[in-house]
Amino acid sequence: MKRRMRTVWLVAACALFASVLAGGAQSRSDVAAAPLAPDAVSGNIVLAHWASSPTETALLKQVIQSFERRYPRIQVTRRALDPYPDSMLAQFAARKPPDVFYVDSNVAPDWIKQGVLQPLNSYIARYKFNTKPFYPRLLSAFRDSKGRIYGFPKDWSPLAMQINTSMAARAGIRAPQTWAQLNTVADRLRATNAVPGGRPICLAADWARLLAFVYQNKGSFLNAAKTRATVNTVAVRRATEFYVGLLRRGLAGTPAQLGVGWCGEALGKEKAAIVFEGNWVLPFMAEQFTSVNFSNHPMPMGRQKGNLAFTVSYSMAKDSKNKNAAWVLLTYLTGKQGMRTWTSKGLALPSRSDVKPVAGRGPFLAAAPYARAWQFAPGFNRVMTVAGNELSAVFEEKQTIAGMLTKIQAEATATLRRGGR
Amino acid sequence: MAVEATTGGRLESARSARVKEAFVGYGFVLVPMGVFLVFFIFPILYAVYISFHDWGVLGKVSTVGLDNYSLLLEDDLFWRAIKNTLYYTAGVVPVQVALGLFMAVIVNNAIRFRTFFRAAFYFPSLASSAAITAIAIYILNADGLVNAVTGSNQPWLGDSDTALESIMGLNAWTTSGTIMLFYLAALQAIPTDVYEAAAIDGAGAWRTFWKITFPLLKPGHFFVLVLSIIGSLKVFDQAFIVSGGSGGPNYSTLTAVVYLYQTAIQDVDFGYAAAMGVALFALIFTATLIQRLLFGKAEIS
Repeated sequence: MKRRMRTVWLVAACALFASVLAGGAQSRSDVAAAPLAPDAVSGNIVLAHWASSPTETALLKQVIQSFERRYPRIQVTRRALDPYPDSMLAQFAARKPPDVFYVDSNVAPDWIKQGVLQPLNSYIARYKFNTKPFYPRLLSAFRDSKGRIYGFPKDWSPLAMQINTSMAARAGIRAPQTWAQLNTVADRLRATNAVPGGRPICLAADWARLLAFVYQNKGSFLNAAKTRATVNTVAVRRATEFYVGLLRRGLAGTPAQLGVGWCGEALGKEKAAIVFEGNWVLPFMAEQFTSVNFSNHPMPMGRQKGNLAFTVSYSMAKDSKNKNAAWVLLTYLTGKQGMRTWTSKGLALPSRSDVKPVAGRGPFLAAAPYARAWQFAPGFNRVMTVAGNELSAVFEEKQTIAGMLTKIQAEATATLRRGGR
Repeated sequence: MAVEATTGGRLESARSARVKEAFVGYGFVLVPMGVFLVFFIFPILYAVYISFHDWGVLGKVSTVGLDNYSLLLEDDLFWRAIKNTLYYTAGVVPVQVALGLFMAVIVNNAIRFRTFFRAAFYFPSLASSAAITAIAIYILNADGLVNAVTGSNQPWLGDSDTALESIMGLNAWTTSGTIMLFYLAALQAIPTDVYEAAAIDGAGAWRTFWKITFPLLKPGHFFVLVLSIIGSLKVFDQAFIVSGGSGGPNYSTLTAVVYLYQTAIQDVDFGYAAAMGVALFALIFTATLIQRLLFGKAEIS
């Protein structure tokens, strides 16, 4: 009798154990399981972001609320992290990352290489998600060298040219469309003293602006395959000489020289008539310098049209505990409806061609076919540190352009050789 | 027999009392020692371990032995950062210590509003260095307060000639309060009859200070110098905030810890950053050892 009871208990325990194992296996192999309809997915997930402004945070809250109304079985906890890269790295290291989060295109190559982002191709195939509406160059910013996708761009902005309309009228100039015209226009602005107490153009000592001119001159830092550094080339040098030349001839000033923090502030304080900034300068001017009238134009052309695309993706963590729910949130935020809400205030441009931006963004969107994402290769951050410091040395006339390009080329080649270490 | 037993018994109880006292002592020390080991010693040892590997955010990628250190020797940016840090320390420490000593001597006398001055001199040390730096960026702007008063239009923090020097001045001012506090404590340990004897001998204020007070402060000097040098070699907040993390303009604000931070967080290369940390530790340790040798024999006689 006792032995029989013991056998019964043993069998029951084994059955229980087996079911627990099976259940565990079921939840672990969510990739292998049949796709769940989004409405059937449930869970709690965490969304992490950085907070650029209270307006943006309020807008994000709005988008999340509409998501939770549409999918009431998924709860989203929103977390603003500051400082963002440090906090995210700490959470990746602890293997407890947020499920969905922002990834700046500049850090995307490094984070992809570190293996903290979930490749999305299997989800795209399973849920038949259409990635065609995304502007191709923006989507490629979040692919690895083998073409696997690690995030969907949530918005973007290129650079454009902002011109102070009253100063332009005073000097009798029209928006320049080529480098030569930019020169002429700046000369005229100076000759007519249209910018009292400032300079015609504000140019930042920043590769995040100069590189656009480099692209306009058919130059670049890396070759297409990102295997070779092409910094020390004639194309890059000529573009830099043009940029620095405007400063040397007094036609342009750096923000520091104009006594401001950045060129957007120069536009607002009317210390410059022409600046090159992205979509972010529009809400800035609307909030802080409402009395200044300015117009937006596409950037001038060099040997070709060229521009930079600053974009951020929503990505999923490799260590996320609820990838199905994260996928539903991801595709909502970067889908038509979510993106329409997010870009409705004009704080950023939609990264999908089937979502229309707010009015007046034509000059920015015009760059979509040719703007290149602001990113390089893994480990390139130290190259950009050298590049930034060398450029400021050139601006202070403590370094020659040739010397700077040689130094950057050396650092870039060494970094590529180390394989991004 | 009885005497021996009693002696043995007293020895026994004395020894067991000592043992019990030792237990109690170690027991009290155990908890803080445990915290110290876990949060200070262990991370340092682990960082040394990490420095021998290629370490990504998810952990060990591969073992590279001394590769990180040999890379460090060839790294121009690292030596640039060390040079900046040493220059910074050489500039800040004398000013900081002199200012602190000066303020301590003032505040040690029975002047009016002494308490107010003590608080006022110490206040900058209390404020967060990040907050002070953020405000300093506005004050040192090309059209900020400093330029409004002096009439120049120099962008203090935007020019590589003046950026680091501006931070040095800022830091010397903020930390001198803490130095003042240490010197004040050391000053008050000097017995007043020494001053009376000097007064009787007809020594003036300056001679009293230079020949009597200053030498008697030797233990204070050592302590203050060690703290000041260690703190200056580790400068980070001001250099980072002022340059926006770039270490510019033209590498002028690239200090050792700023470069370490860039390598760890922006390059996500923790192995290399750990090697840098170990090298910096070696530098600071050597500096402290040298000071110990120079000043260590300080005793008041």
